[in-house]
Amino acid sequence: MRRLLASLALAAALCGSALCSSAQAAPQVAQILPSSAGYQPSDAVEKGLWLEMDEAERQIRASKFLIDDPELNAYVKSVLCRTVGQAKCGAARIYLIRTPQFNAAMAPNGMMLVWSGLLLRARNEAELATVLGHEFVHFEKQHSLQSFRDIKAKSDAMTWLSFVPGGLLAQIGLMGSVFRFNREMEKQADMAALDYLGSSGYDPMAASQIWEQLRGEMEAQAKANKAIAQAEEGNSFFASHPNTKDRMEYLRAAARRKAPSSDSGEEQYRKAIARWWPRLIDDQVKLNDFAATEYLLSGMARGNWTADLLYARAELYRARGKPEDIKAAERFYRQSVAADAQLGESWKGLGLILLRQGKAIEGRRMLRQYLAIAPEAGDSAMIGAMAKEPGK
Amino acid sequence: MRLVPLAFSLIALLGAAMPLRAEWKALSADEDVAVAGKLMIATPKGGWNRSTAKPSARSERWTRDGLALNELTFFAGVAEGEALYFAPLMAKQDLPKFRAQMLPTEIVELFENSNRMILDSSVFAVSAVEPAKLGRFDGVRFSYTYAAQDEGLTRKGEGVAAIVDGKLYLVNFVAPAVHYFDRDISEIRQLVSSLKLRPPKPGAAK
Repeated sequence: MRRLLASLALAAALCGSALCSSAQAAPQVAQILPSSAGYQPSDAVEKGLWLEMDEAERQIRASKFLIDDPELNAYVKSVLCRTVGQAKCGAARIYLIRTPQFNAAMAPNGMMLVWSGLLLRARNEAELATVLGHEFVHFEKQHSLQSFRDIKAKSDAMTWLSFVPGGLLAQIGLMGSVFRFNREMEKQADMAALDYLGSSGYDPMAASQIWEQLRGEMEAQAKANKAIAQAEEGNSFFASHPNTKDRMEYLRAAARRKAPSSDSGEEQYRKAIARWWPRLIDDQVKLNDFAATEYLLSGMARGNWTADLLYARAELYRARGKPEDIKAAERFYRQSVAADAQLGESWKGLGLILLRQGKAIEGRRMLRQYLAIAPEAGDSAMIGAMAKEPGK
Repeated sequence: MRLVPLAFSLIALLGAAMPLRAEWKALSADEDVAVAGKLMIATPKGGWNRSTAKPSARSERWTRDGLALNELTFFAGVAEGEALYFAPLMAKQDLPKFRAQMLPTEIVELFENSNRMILDSSVFAVSAVEPAKLGRFDGVRFSYTYAAQDEGLTRKGEGVAAIVDGKLYLVNFVAPAVHYFDRDISEIRQLVSSLKLRPPKPGAAK
């Protein structure tokens, strides 16, 4: 009963503002969206929310998890700007967070968080644009503010916020649950993001493709962990999102009605994240999550295994280290150095895997190849000792 | 208000993974101390304390000023197929396992990957890896930096490890990069270099 009263009160409160009318009837008052320049919070609830988010933003600015590479930040911002337009993108302040899981979020004060796991998973600019656009729509349509008013009507969300155990990432995850959007909001964000892809000339098919890839990764992980039912719940981003299968279908159908475009921006995307890619994949491999990582790598390769991808795959198998993995890792390292003889890390991995199998002479030779390419590497003293012929 | 008790129960749940209260015992200066199942003998200088709470069944942890400021961990006799740490309660993946066949650089990888998972942090970088002795055994020394999620602080660490009779022995020191690491590291190096390993005789019951 209290719940019902609260909902009624909430409905009344919302209808008192411009929000109630925004969906159906023409607004009575000129509506200023948060994406317009100089937007300020309107009432006490919104002001309070901004205050909290400003505080969270201060913490994130000081965080050691922040990727402060100006070039990479400028690139992600440029993708958002192409997607939603120069006039609007100024409202967003993007922060890249070094953490290998897939996630992105945008707070009502304009703070946008992009986890490095998204940069690893997007295979082209259009896929990145899909997620950035989706989060931007939540911001623009004030979905989090609506959800927050809803929560506020039921409980003291601020008290809840201050009781969160765990670190920064847990708190960001909580933002997702405070701002739990309903299905309509999610679909609205999906469809408007697709419109953005269309208006910015990106391949509209990218929207369903990134969700398809993520769905597959979670299924692979769940299968390995024998916990299929938890496949979506395990990821804070997906906990609040529509069933991925439905979403793929409606996005694909809607994309077919858009003007087709072959511009997925794959080449420039690869170039833009190239410097970071080794660190991003390294973070993923070190999660000890074999099944998901194997799926992810196959999805990136799509049959075309480059030297980098082969190296990452070999590292994954070597890290798991079952007897059959050792053989597979050796094969992948060999393919990797055959594809790119300058990839020092692959020579090192090949040397290590040969030594593990007692093939000492060849193994030491491979380690010396690594040292010739990377004489200044941090582990050169140890590898040098391992590469030395006995008795010399 | 339904959500707040949930948060409390979550804390209670996390707490259940640890002993109810870790106790600290002061160690006497310049006296031999049997460490980590008596498989190592260390001779600390003054001011060190050992905790009754252990990171795993084969390890123990010391501090001088509190774990936030300096932490010295000893692992001794980690066997094939064992992890370095007790599994964190909320972990989705198993921690990586020690293999007796591991090469020196792979021990460092085992340490790094285990800590990344325990800390839930990808801000972890190994800088130098070089040959070193642990006791009288050949092994590896490695240094690294990392950040944990709930603090805006960079920590520095240094470890020395060796495999003896197929079992892993490892000593690791961690302190904030600002001031505390540099203050204590030469003392720690001295402690590590005078450390004696007492691996059980082959064939003896463990």
